[in-house]
Amino acid sequence: MNRAQSELTELSLAQAGELIANRILSPVELVEACLARAEAVNPTINAFIEIYHDQARAVARAAETQIQAGHWLGPLHGIPLGLKDNIGLRGQITTAGSKVMGDWVPSRDATVAGHLRRHGAIFLGKTNMHEFAWGGTSDNPHFGPVRNPWDPERFPAGSSGGSGAAVAARACTAAVGTDTGGSVRLPSAVNGIVGLRPTLGRVSNFGVVPLAWSMDTVGPMARTVEDCALLFNAMAGHDPNDGGSLLQVVPDYTGDLQRGVKGLRIGVVPRYFFHHLQPPVHDAVKAALGTFEGLGAQVVEVDIENIHGNISAQLTIESTEPSAYHQQWLRERPQDYGEDVRTQLEMGEMLLATHYIQAQRYRTLLRREFMEAFKSVDVFICPTLPFTATRVGEMKVIIENGEEEDMLSAIMQFTGVPSLTGLPSLNVPCSYDQDGLPVGMQIIGRPFDETTLFRMGAAFQAATDFHQRAPKP
Amino acid sequence: MTDQVALSVADIEVLARLAALPLPAGRPEAIREPLSVWVQDANELSRKMSRPEYWHLVPATVFQHPVV
Repeated sequence: MNRAQSELTELSLAQAGELIANRILSPVELVEACLARAEAVNPTINAFIEIYHDQARAVARAAETQIQAGHWLGPLHGIPLGLKDNIGLRGQITTAGSKVMGDWVPSRDATVAGHLRRHGAIFLGKTNMHEFAWGGTSDNPHFGPVRNPWDPERFPAGSSGGSGAAVAARACTAAVGTDTGGSVRLPSAVNGIVGLRPTLGRVSNFGVVPLAWSMDTVGPMARTVEDCALLFNAMAGHDPNDGGSLLQVVPDYTGDLQRGVKGLRIGVVPRYFFHHLQPPVHDAVKAALGTFEGLGAQVVEVDIENIHGNISAQLTIESTEPSAYHQQWLRERPQDYGEDVRTQLEMGEMLLATHYIQAQRYRTLLRREFMEAFKSVDVFICPTLPFTATRVGEMKVIIENGEEEDMLSAIMQFTGVPSLTGLPSLNVPCSYDQDGLPVGMQIIGRPFDETTLFRMGAAFQAATDFHQRAPKP
Repeated sequence: MTDQVALSVADIEVLARLAALPLPAGRPEAIREPLSVWVQDANELSRKMSRPEYWHLVPATVFQHPVV
């Protein structure tokens, strides 16, 4: 890849969109640069299952013609995106990272893909992922593991690991992932990018292969908060095809990006947010809170009485619902699943109905406690996960005291809370550890208040430069 | 007090039979230990949610009918 192309892949979505709108940059140039970058890095990081070389080039040429004719569709027009491979695209194989669905070709776009298409976005390819999104490592037995561009011996987290790695590696300008228990936020954190889990029901799940119906969401992933907000403008909205989709006005999510955070109240739950962390994560999030205080926000200690117990509730719901979806395949072709997903699906069949109902009642309790707390704070901030990227293939992690813990329950220590409560949450990169691995903080907001999350993240990125660093080429 | 749950291979085989889930040899042993942890934690949550102060809480999946 030549120097000019490397400059193009460094452009944010907002920057590229403006250059395209002013006809200074052609979508053809941008797509070629991203394709070259994707070809260069994919043998190492394995972020893409499939790259749409010919189609992306053809759509870029069409976009160029449209824009030159004055038919500009908006800031996403001509922008190359990665799409997680559980999001259906009309006429394209959608695998969900699996062998079971390996030859599924949807007859229509997922709703969110259709929205992005209508805004002129160009799909560069389908990103690799944890099989059926049921895991947090993106160590895929059928398509190979995704690797972290900051250190290819490390994992990219998951399940949207391919989207996270592709964005961090500059192989696409931005990407789309899905998040049930953390699958946008976790790879965003360990790849050093921004990722949003929206309010449950804010973005349509129609056409997306489900994991857990009562917690599934689709979210944007990009290098800056502004880019995420621009993507989200195109993704959000009611969909009559999705029974969980909610009728709620879609604001301009970029509207408050310059507003600053003076007077905003940041809630922290010290006995949960700052315990059981690797020291670099603890220090990074504490420092980030200091940054926000320097910008005029106020940190308020809050207690959420019943926050402990959320991991068990998360695992119960996130295991039983997929097990219901996979019942037929699990009986007809169990050997076609990877070992970890097969085990989890079998386990999900063996939890009791009363376990599931009690977990769903716990969700009501936890949400009520957070909604009560939102009377005195505007957002919560905590780590996104308690550790930085572990080595590819590891299923145990050491957080403190040298004790090994199960990866699945450890990884959702903080991401389970928004998943259970339906609240929106945004990962923003906030530091790097001693090995140069990214650390992310999670900003949790009120229902449908993604605007405030973006406002906070934008203020942080205006005051810091963590989001401007790039992995070594 | 947390009741320790230590499921046996026979327990897993019964659960699989209840679910009409064929499990080849080796699968019950693969599931036994992690499921024991999940069940133990789920039982503890169930005990908590059965307390009188939480009797009024309905599951989060109950319909909330919009105003027509």
